[in-house]
Amino acid sequence: MFFALTDEQRALQDSVREYLADRFPTSSVREVYDDPDGDGIPASLWQAYGEHGWLAVMVPEESDGLGLGVLDAAVLSRCLGAGVAPGPWLPTVIAGEALRLGGGAVPAAAKWLERIASGEVKLAFAPDPSLPVEYAAVADALVAVHDGTLTLLEPDAYTAAPVAVLDRTTRLARVEVTGSGTRLDSAAIEGVLRCAAVLTAADLAGIAREALSRTVAYDKERVQFGKPVGSVQILKHTLADLHIAVTMAEHAVLYAAYAIDTGRNDAALAVSVAKAKASDAARDVTAAMIQFHGGIGYTWEHDAHFFFKRAKRQEYAYGSASEHRERIAKLVVDA
Amino acid sequence: MDLSDSPVDAEFRTEFRAWLEANLPAEWGTSEFWMNLSPAESFALRREWEADKAREGFAGINWPKEFGGRGGTPTQKAIYDEEMARADAPVTVNTLGLTFLGPTVMAIGSDEQKRDIIKPMLHNEVIWCQGFSEPGAGSDLASLTTRATDAGDHWVVNGQKVWTTNALHADRMFALVRTDPQSQRHRGISMLLIDMHAEGVDARPLKQMTGNEEFGEVFLTDVKVPKDAVLGEVGAGWNVAMLLLSFERGSSAIGQYTRFRAEWEAVAKVARDSGRSKDPALRQRLADALVNLETLRLHSLHILTKVEKGEQLGFESSMTKLQWSETHQDLGEIYMDVRGYAGQQIPGLSTSELDPLTELFLWSRSETIWGGSSQVQRNIVAEHVLGLPR
Repeated sequence: MFFALTDEQRALQDSVREYLADRFPTSSVREVYDDPDGDGIPASLWQAYGEHGWLAVMVPEESDGLGLGVLDAAVLSRCLGAGVAPGPWLPTVIAGEALRLGGGAVPAAAKWLERIASGEVKLAFAPDPSLPVEYAAVADALVAVHDGTLTLLEPDAYTAAPVAVLDRTTRLARVEVTGSGTRLDSAAIEGVLRCAAVLTAADLAGIAREALSRTVAYDKERVQFGKPVGSVQILKHTLADLHIAVTMAEHAVLYAAYAIDTGRNDAALAVSVAKAKASDAARDVTAAMIQFHGGIGYTWEHDAHFFFKRAKRQEYAYGSASEHRERIAKLVVDA
Repeated sequence: MDLSDSPVDAEFRTEFRAWLEANLPAEWGTSEFWMNLSPAESFALRREWEADKAREGFAGINWPKEFGGRGGTPTQKAIYDEEMARADAPVTVNTLGLTFLGPTVMAIGSDEQKRDIIKPMLHNEVIWCQGFSEPGAGSDLASLTTRATDAGDHWVVNGQKVWTTNALHADRMFALVRTDPQSQRHRGISMLLIDMHAEGVDARPLKQMTGNEEFGEVFLTDVKVPKDAVLGEVGAGWNVAMLLLSFERGSSAIGQYTRFRAEWEAVAKVARDSGRSKDPALRQRLADALVNLETLRLHSLHILTKVEKGEQLGFESSMTKLQWSETHQDLGEIYMDVRGYAGQQIPGLSTSELDPLTELFLWSRSETIWGGSSQVQRNIVAEHVLGLPR
């Protein structure tokens, strides 16, 4: 019995955290925020994703990837959420997983996986092409769940029109499928969406933890009425509850990823537990981040809105908390 | 990450599960069986069953063999808790002794105390209760006023303890008393080991809002206590109490999770059978309670992993307490919502004849108070985990 990250996973986590702290802190995120017409992919950061193997994490070794599991990818995703890091890491990794799970009979799939592993390409993933799709306008290809089938679309098979986006740590585009693309195995859809939900929950857990840490640090220093506001009991109790919620979300994310990796029969339940808990926790913590910073937290110049807006976007990606609770009810109340 | 049992742990689980299957009477799983027994009969039955279990080597799972324990690991203790809950075996009658006093005696007790206390406790020959809370000292334990006066060759104890679990069944009490009459707050307190059968000890039941009497009040009037019946140094009782309470930190909530999850299933079944499970709002709340139960399980595994790795435990047990007590209370509320007005009709005329889920609803109000109220726990998390200023 061992419910914790391995030393290797901790090392991976440390390396991503250190990279972002040194090379891409939130002041760098701000540059992406203040350039809404840019592609939202800082060149140095994207290069780092490729060079460090962060894109190759779940690509099989035979396609030159690291062949690691959802748990390792979740560790990465959590760090990128904490750093509110821009760039199509998550869509590329999810599209890669779709190619891995659904591309067995398709020669092109292996080729794309190799190019993901080497950091050459960016992919977009559309679970529902009627909704805005992350980085679709700049991606080299798109994997979509289209008319109930899992399809690999190259740029000649779709158009993507950029749209203005509320959370500027990403870029969105409206997609129109114009060609037929390459059909992948649609039986893989459920597995891909589970993986996507867990990695999104990991992003949310990262957002929530960082938002909480920054708020606690600020409230220890900020003095009003002659004492730190963090000594006021109503703030302390709220922050204690939020800390518990974030901790539980972190546990839930790790377990769900592990459950997928090991094929446990409660994987579907675990995924919904993780996405529901992480969505709620991140929404609540990032709202408290604004509130417990007072007026400064509501300004554009403060970082709080990076966390607040990203949490709001990810809350609805791959199923909201209430959608996942309904799935839980179907799995265990109706059973 | 690896949540499977090691071969040794799997073997222990199989062995204990088989023992429970062979030795736990089938009728014990029905609430009717317990309803027809008086509290004293029920206690005696459980006390005896547990003593048999101890003789078979299924007690003190992670206590050293030299003290009569099984010499197992914290993981095996968690497996034991999980299997006990899974089999719906009765909760231990000597819980305060086993959770708190035993580990403290092993850590700081004299050789005589180790010999006289540990094994009789494991075999339920001596049932222990805890004398901490007083009418004027609830969350603020350091304001306690029960005093022990030095009468040369013995102490003379006067005062009152309250919220004493098993007060009527216990043979001995580990109690915090003021041994220095001039002292204030945390100083001048000692941990006395008091014979509940001694003259001047008057234990009375305390009827709770459930109608049951799990707790009691203990009135102490000129009770003579031997001079050496002190655990730790005289005057160091506060530190002994802090050490004693710290042993709860490493204990696993896996058993609670397993019992609560079974209760959750029972609530879901009532909802399903009554058609209430079609209500979208109720479905959300049932699912939310399940989310919080599942994450409680994971938090327990997280703490267990830290214990097994020998890492320093912080105050994460306060998080565990908040998570389980508040989720359990939610579950009681959800059950009442499932029942609606029909829930007012209970099986018997006496309020003590409650169905288990209605009792859960009422009993769970106590769980956010005893053992450190939710508000105290939040202070602990804020100050000791997050480092927020006092």
